[in-house]
Amino acid sequence: MNRSLRLALFVVVALVQLAVAGGAIVKSELALRTGEAFRFRIQPVDPVDAFRGRYVAIRFAVERAPATDDLEVRSGETIYVPLDVDADGYAALGQAKTDRPRRSSYLRLRAGVVSPDEEGNRWVWVALPFRRYYMDEDRAPDAERAVWAGRRGQREASISVRVRNGVGVIEELYIDDVPIHQWLAENAQDR
Amino acid sequence: MAIMGRLSIRWLLGELPKLEAEGVIDSGVAERLRAYYADKTLGAGRRLVVAIFAVFGALLIGGGVILLLAHNWEAFGRGTRAAIALVPLVASQVLVGWVLIKKSGSTAWREGTATLLALTVAAAIALVDQTYHTGGDLESFLWRWSLLLAPLPWLLNSTAVAMLFLAALTWWAGAAKVEGSQILMMWPLAAAVIPHLIHVMRSDRRGLRAANLQWAIALFLCVAAGLGLENRVPGLWIVVYVGLFALMITVGAANHRGEEGLWRRPLEFVGITGSVILWLVLSFDEPWRNIGWKHIHTTERFHEVSSWVDVVLAVGLPLAAIVAMALLLDRGRHCLYLMWGLAVPLVAVVWPLTATTDSRWIGAIAFTVLLFVVGIATIAEGVRRQHLGVVNLGMFVVAMLVVVRFFDSGFGFILKGFAFILVGIGFLVANVVLSRSLRAAEKEAK
Repeated sequence: MNRSLRLALFVVVALVQLAVAGGAIVKSELALRTGEAFRFRIQPVDPVDAFRGRYVAIRFAVERAPATDDLEVRSGETIYVPLDVDADGYAALGQAKTDRPRRSSYLRLRAGVVSPDEEGNRWVWVALPFRRYYMDEDRAPDAERAVWAGRRGQREASISVRVRNGVGVIEELYIDDVPIHQWLAENAQDR
Repeated sequence: MAIMGRLSIRWLLGELPKLEAEGVIDSGVAERLRAYYADKTLGAGRRLVVAIFAVFGALLIGGGVILLLAHNWEAFGRGTRAAIALVPLVASQVLVGWVLIKKSGSTAWREGTATLLALTVAAAIALVDQTYHTGGDLESFLWRWSLLLAPLPWLLNSTAVAMLFLAALTWWAGAAKVEGSQILMMWPLAAAVIPHLIHVMRSDRRGLRAANLQWAIALFLCVAAGLGLENRVPGLWIVVYVGLFALMITVGAANHRGEEGLWRRPLEFVGITGSVILWLVLSFDEPWRNIGWKHIHTTERFHEVSSWVDVVLAVGLPLAAIVAMALLLDRGRHCLYLMWGLAVPLVAVVWPLTATTDSRWIGAIAFTVLLFVVGIATIAEGVRRQHLGVVNLGMFVVAMLVVVRFFDSGFGFILKGFAFILVGIGFLVANVVLSRSLRAAEKEAK
């Protein structure tokens, strides 16, 4: 293969590499700047990722969306879940659909199994895409402890998320409604 | 000529006196050949060292960038961090572009900059994930990284990146398997190294790059064959691995000329090591419990296409091994390798037999006998060729078999005791016969 063809192909590959990294930036920035804000209640834990550093792992109490009787999805297929706000002001998953909703505040998710509960209501299990809150390697363990204490009922942990056209991006992690960095600064002397 | 064909040159120069003596070439030609290759090999060693240093330098720098970014510099804003993510990537892309234009003949430049690019790609997607708390778990990160690496080995003619790519892909497959995801895409994606493999084998099949690439591929195949199996039909892995190792031994044996060291024979090394371990495992009855189509899993947890890939591998690999043995190996010169290939016809008989009869002992006994026969044959061949390494390999096989059986609780002590004594007597008799025939051969030679 001659040199100019190889170079041209490399330019294409290089652009794809940039597009993957840059595209993720643009997508996330759009959601953060123009997306609607929601608050999710969480229950988290803290490990390390060799490539991306320390993070607070995020768990949700319940990860299922109500499903109508006519919803036909197989595990692994794409569904659209609109976001509502419950009485306490936290996000609640709305009724799952197989087609894209008209409004902008919905999440594009992968369906798990569909199963009825004891009362006969159908639910579709989902995995929310907010699984990690990356932090400074020195602070992550402290944040982790704070959040764990929250699990024992002393503190409330939550995340705020911006949602736009199916894409959700985490904005901030909160302990007792205080942003995590502020909370850690305020509570530094206690530890 | 590629820079690393030194072994071939050494071999050729070693042949020259013989060729000269037998009148194939005259002394003038021999002299000119010596002068030509003396010129060529002069800088080869130095260039090789430079290339190795370039790759390790790039690995360390790229790794350092990843670690620095992983610290998570929260003090910088989102915008700054996004820019930082792209800067090392763009810088190494420009560097690689420059090398493609100006330095494509230099292995050190090519391999070094390509390695740096592979790592800065990882750094860029990692930092973006980190900045925006997106990107999911490790599995998703490794998948995106593998996809972006796939075209690079061929495009940049870089073996180091091919090895990184296979490592990342294997890591992804392992992580995905743990999560219970489908890893069918591993096979087509892994095929991305084939064009590079062909290129390297064509330009310098006895060079260090070819050897390194073969190591990476051999190890990848060992792990991938296991991870890739859906195991819907229990026990298919036995046939798959017997076929895979026999194929590696055959292709490796057909490829080498006898003058290379162990490092340059990765296929043979992995194939033989893998065979010994596998056969020892198969000489127990446990792996043969409940195998075959009678015990097929019918729950929908199993993936349809993936299950068929199992069958294709289980039929294809042993067949490929048989065909390769028939086409590539010479019955006289490669008789030892053909002995090691015996496992394929053996498993082709034993596996279906076990599956129909559900008797676990057929397989265990067959592979115990196979280990013993191949071990003895290897010792005998080593003695015949006066090759200590081959003798030791045979001894090791027999010794391992003895150790494993000694502690095997599947047989009674009396049976084991008698068997050990009988085999011991056999060894002594063989020893006497062998040393007598050797002495006779020596006398004849005198």
